[in-house]
Amino acid sequence: MSVAIIGVGQTGYRRSFPDKSSRELIWEAARLALEDADLDIDAIDMVISGVAPDALAGEASVERTAMLGFGKPFLRINTGGVTGSSTVFAGNTFIRAKRARAVLVVGLERMGQATSSQQVFNTIFDPVYEKDFPLTTITMAALRASMLMRLYGYTAMHWAKIAARSYQNALKNPLAHLHVDITPEDVLNSPLLAWPIHRYEACPMSEGACAMVLVNDQMVGDRTPAWIQGAASITDSYAMGDRIHRPGATLVDLLSLKLAAQRAYAQAGVDKPRDQVRAIELYSAFSSAEAMAYPALGMCEASDGPRFVEDQFTDPKIPVFNPSGGPQGANPVSVTAMVRIAEAALQVRDMAGERQVADVDRAVATGQGGATQFSTVCVLGKRPAP
Amino acid sequence: MAEVGSVYIEGAALEFSWADPRRNLMELIYDTVSKAVEDAGQGYDGIDSVVLAAHDLVDGRSLSSMVTAPAAGAYLRDEVRYSDDGAGAFAAAVARIEAGESERTIVAAWGRASEHDVEELSRQLFDRIFLAPLGLQETHICAVNAQKWRINGGDTSSVEAAQKRRAVAAKANPRALQSGGWRSTPAYPLESDHLPLWADAVAAVVISGKPSSVRVKGLGLSSEPYWPGDRGLATAPALQRASERALAEAGMTAHEIDLFELDGMTLYDEAIALEAVGYAAKGQGMRVLAEDQRCNPSGGSAAGYSVPAMGLARIVEATLQLRATAGAVQVGKPRTAMASGLSVTAAQTQTVIILEAQ
Repeated sequence: MSVAIIGVGQTGYRRSFPDKSSRELIWEAARLALEDADLDIDAIDMVISGVAPDALAGEASVERTAMLGFGKPFLRINTGGVTGSSTVFAGNTFIRAKRARAVLVVGLERMGQATSSQQVFNTIFDPVYEKDFPLTTITMAALRASMLMRLYGYTAMHWAKIAARSYQNALKNPLAHLHVDITPEDVLNSPLLAWPIHRYEACPMSEGACAMVLVNDQMVGDRTPAWIQGAASITDSYAMGDRIHRPGATLVDLLSLKLAAQRAYAQAGVDKPRDQVRAIELYSAFSSAEAMAYPALGMCEASDGPRFVEDQFTDPKIPVFNPSGGPQGANPVSVTAMVRIAEAALQVRDMAGERQVADVDRAVATGQGGATQFSTVCVLGKRPAP
Repeated sequence: MAEVGSVYIEGAALEFSWADPRRNLMELIYDTVSKAVEDAGQGYDGIDSVVLAAHDLVDGRSLSSMVTAPAAGAYLRDEVRYSDDGAGAFAAAVARIEAGESERTIVAAWGRASEHDVEELSRQLFDRIFLAPLGLQETHICAVNAQKWRINGGDTSSVEAAQKRRAVAAKANPRALQSGGWRSTPAYPLESDHLPLWADAVAAVVISGKPSSVRVKGLGLSSEPYWPGDRGLATAPALQRASERALAEAGMTAHEIDLFELDGMTLYDEAIALEAVGYAAKGQGMRVLAEDQRCNPSGGSAAGYSVPAMGLARIVEATLQLRATAGAVQVGKPRTAMASGLSVTAAQTQTVIILEAQ
């Protein structure tokens, strides 16, 4: 059984939507996805929703207020940063199991209602050993960035170049939250959040909703599909300290992403990812997170990472990273991993507008959550997996 | 890849406790998951997937699965956490095996009522503008359902007998909470003993596509509108639809089911559930609950209650019955059982699972 994405709906992303309720955002994304799929809600067999930390929205189980298609099977997922991709994967599962022909997956982020997202994120860490540091997603990323600099020779300019490239890409994406013309020098001149991370290397706080329609191969018809060729997720250990000294994988090796990529590539028949994938949408909330993904996705050896950053600007054969602008352009946390898949699907369907990459036969989307504890990899293609 | 109807429960475990000072949440999870894995007799090596049902606001920290998932065996495995009822997560885990994505999966669900304010959390579920100012909790919706059931002509003559039978079962159930816990203040027409006994609960099963003692014969899910005024009060339409789907898949009628473990927050909800799944006639659910030993032999919500674990707890109880290992609450030798699980807000979504002894 092959599964395809035939509809994508996004509200666009911004700091907050004070003029829209949570259910209005969900309904808007769902309507757009159904219109793109040319299907009515009656054609949908199941709805799967993804909303991550309720605390970010300040509303409990907010997706329940926006339920679509009363009477249909409905489930809700919360896997933190990978909530969006987990939700898509769950839809993929129910179709492959022949328990649904068409599934609507929808995600929402309302973190604009949070007084401080970093205070919320601080509560994901151990209340006894870590919470009082204060460890947050920013300081957590800073620890990794400094480790990458020490181990592999990355410099502040590498982080700045990655961030500036994403901002430039976001300028072509009307759905992005930030549209700012930023150079690597601008990044380095922005305020330091936690050394070595500057403000413009970090993702913004964004709100918005995303939805997609997944169908089995018999329902695709004459629509333009993005076929799910591979989907895999892996969970790592909770304590970051447990990931530093274990054999074969340090904290910055992203073992969970590497294992997920191996599984998803195997399903998709990908054995030379650098040559066989044209566009990659990464859940990289910081520049250093992108660098950690290169070796995990088979793009280069870890020690060659700094050169790989440089080569991206000169070698047109290297896959295009985050053509949408990625999380630097918009980071609606519980939706971001779904947006990565949505944007990859648009690339495969040649429907990405000004941000379209030429000749995308296959695209990869990643998800990353829970202090890089949770990783997902989704491979999409113009054809079903071989 | 397993076909629909070819997934089996290999191991099951359930524990209720209350504010255990010797174990934190992760230790509670680890203990019960380990028992389920031991019960399955296959060890951890063959397990490639973990499906969880838990909720941040119940666990008391954001993205709580970061710390809880490894305790449930998720390290370097394909793991997903549903913020939904355990029976819904069970259905998703079954689909994983049917889809060929997993050979053997742990399903675990938990809630620790001793460490969170269940009433405040319940109030948070209601619309901030129109419903929350009323101070509504889910048990208040249960009371509205109960009152509507009475207005509709429900047979109230058996309320006391049904509650007595439930209490006796809960006292006899070796897995029920026997000390500690508490109940909220009842809203009319509910009485204190009708309410769920708040408890700390962990339920876990191991499932695979390899034939074992209990087979998943059918499953169904359904939902209702958010607004209570839009609901089918006292009739549980989501449960009715979910059971119709599960029974159709199993090729059975409700009267061919040998045993029921249906999730309801209160005594009345359990009676209404028996009507919704088609086993009791309209208005006769309470009488059936009072007289029929095959209905919620575990003691239902009187044996201990904590969301979002209860659907999976019902599945564990049904599994033990089918294996004739339920202990003092064992009811004969049932061949088939129906278990259900409900989720927020106030049973807006329902999952029904039909199991068969092999």
